[in-house]
Amino acid sequence: MIINRGRTGEGPRVRVAELVMPTLQAPGLKPDVSVIVPVTERPDPLAELFLEYSEPLADAGLNYEFVFVVEPRNRQRVVPLRKLAERGQAIRVFEVGHTVGESVLLMLGAARSRADTLIVLPAYRRVDASALPELYVKIFEGADLVNCRRNPRRDSWLNRLQTRVLHTLVAGLSSGRVRDVGSGVRAMRREVLLEIPLYGDFFRFLPVLAIREGYQVEEIDAPQHASDAKTRVYSPGIYLRRLIDVFGLFFLARFTYKPLRFFGMIGGTLVVFGGLVLVVLFLQRLAGEPLAGRPLLLLGVLVFTLGVQAIALGLIGEIIVHFNAPGRSPYRVQADTAAEDSLTVVSDPAVQPPADAARAQIGGPGGRTAEG
Amino acid sequence: MKSTIRLSVVVPLFNECENVSHLIGAVRAVLGEGQDWELVLVDDGSTDCTCELIESEVRVDARIRLIRLARNYGQTAAMQAAFDRARGQVIVSMDGDLQNDPADIPLLLARLDEGFDLVVGYRVHRKDRLLTRKLPSWVANRLIGMITGVQIRDNGCSLKAYRRELLDRVHLYSDMHRFIPALAVSTAGARVSEIPVRHHARRFGESKYGLSRIWKVASDLLALKMLSSFRERPLLMFGLGALGASMLALLSIALTTLTFDRGVSAPSSYGYVYPSIALVWLSLAFFLLLLGLVAEVVISGGRSTGEMSLPVVREWT
Repeated sequence: MIINRGRTGEGPRVRVAELVMPTLQAPGLKPDVSVIVPVTERPDPLAELFLEYSEPLADAGLNYEFVFVVEPRNRQRVVPLRKLAERGQAIRVFEVGHTVGESVLLMLGAARSRADTLIVLPAYRRVDASALPELYVKIFEGADLVNCRRNPRRDSWLNRLQTRVLHTLVAGLSSGRVRDVGSGVRAMRREVLLEIPLYGDFFRFLPVLAIREGYQVEEIDAPQHASDAKTRVYSPGIYLRRLIDVFGLFFLARFTYKPLRFFGMIGGTLVVFGGLVLVVLFLQRLAGEPLAGRPLLLLGVLVFTLGVQAIALGLIGEIIVHFNAPGRSPYRVQADTAAEDSLTVVSDPAVQPPADAARAQIGGPGGRTAEG
Repeated sequence: MKSTIRLSVVVPLFNECENVSHLIGAVRAVLGEGQDWELVLVDDGSTDCTCELIESEVRVDARIRLIRLARNYGQTAAMQAAFDRARGQVIVSMDGDLQNDPADIPLLLARLDEGFDLVVGYRVHRKDRLLTRKLPSWVANRLIGMITGVQIRDNGCSLKAYRRELLDRVHLYSDMHRFIPALAVSTAGARVSEIPVRHHARRFGESKYGLSRIWKVASDLLALKMLSSFRERPLLMFGLGALGASMLALLSIALTTLTFDRGVSAPSSYGYVYPSIALVWLSLAFFLLLLGLVAEVVISGGRSTGEMSLPVVREWT
């Protein structure tokens, strides 16, 4: 239930081996953008993916690196990448020691990427590659995270319905600012991915989590990729997992710091209901009806004890929050005018290396100038 | 620079555009021209001109400081942000809506110097509506005093003065800003004193409180009660609960034997109601005992070590 904060930039503690070292770039040279590709289930051919998505970045004059983070079952799939890297392409591949899931792969990739702007790209093609430079420009203009929405869509009504349902469930938490959490293509400042603790399936909801953390989140439209248009019907278990994810997200968003409000609401209701049953039965006993013949008494006691259990669990939650409080701050500071103070972190969107070529080609407006 | 600041006045602000200039002026008038204080204004995600106004003040007076939070987090988080970043040896908190009078700050400081860790103001001649503001607050203060054992006349008054050593030991979360004195006494061993302070009616802007907080206060109070009574020994609390449930189970068993004697000609459900109830109570007792053990694990694992986790101590001189 508790999210660990104050994580250092090292990423999760998982054994990672770097398989391909970049040969093109000098070690000291910082790329403009790192594209992180977590490779878990059913990836598209990775070399083609790289060639397709790196092209618009190169055309925009951006200095990029692709960071593939791979689970061991995909070891064979990265072989073509090695050939590309030997030919001088900016590809780095990291292999994780065991199956860890996409959230951990993302955090590992973020910790090892070198650019200040990150683009997260699923290992299967979701949107048209032309969207990538635009994502970068949005970050350059000051957004903390930019989600890519598949629009116009080409796929079947069934897929759209699935997206719509998921979106409706999540809409309340994202204030309507994110309309396609499923696309999985996002750009963000490096800090965002390093500071939001991801685990389990929460990588899907990264834009929503970023909104909760107070980051400036925007969304752009990009045409859906043709290969994403297959109708997908998952097993019922997958839908159940999504539903549970959304429920967990709601709970964490509302009650991370006040678990007793949630458990107490449930428990209090049950205790009152059970108590009422018992009172009614007691009054009837006074009127002469023997209690031992009333199965309703069992129900009353059962509901009452369930309520007590819920409240007790809420109290455990409060103990956890209380004893974790010194190490976590329930807020995020955006700016502090006493900036010489050692505590201070002033986030300035305009400290990235300018990519004039990118802006010139895409025709985006210039980045914000730094103010003191 | 850090060592020269003696006093930090911290004010959480949310959409207080009309008040902020008056506030800064009033604080400056009271604290004077010296450089040994700072006014820490925490902007809790305001959407009006609050920030712009403060920024223009910061440019002309370095003693004024603006901390902008990334979004609206609520008063507790805003105060904790201010406490975490305030540099003074003494910290004074107050409301941003001019209901507190900065002229009371020197009185708070004088009382703090008499050997207290926390000085709490209580509003005399409160200028609020009786039915929706004063009455609920009177009931709440009595209730808080009764439950936590820390009698404070006015928990809702933001005007308080704290020593740095105390704030290093008190961490606010949820909506705990209402219970700072109780939390400070029960977890950090603070010595608390109260003084009367002035109260002005809200001149500009809208009140951000409503009656809807009653349920929240009740839930927070329950948590606070547990923390103040059983913070060091949660197993005792859960154990007492388990004991109570076991007694009820015993009672049900006793009733079982009673009803068994005359159950020969009774309807069929007579035989199982009481034994089943005994089992339900027993399972609750078992569950609570296990939860108590979980709580012990949490505390032994989550407790931070070192001086900061212990109460404030002052040596006699």
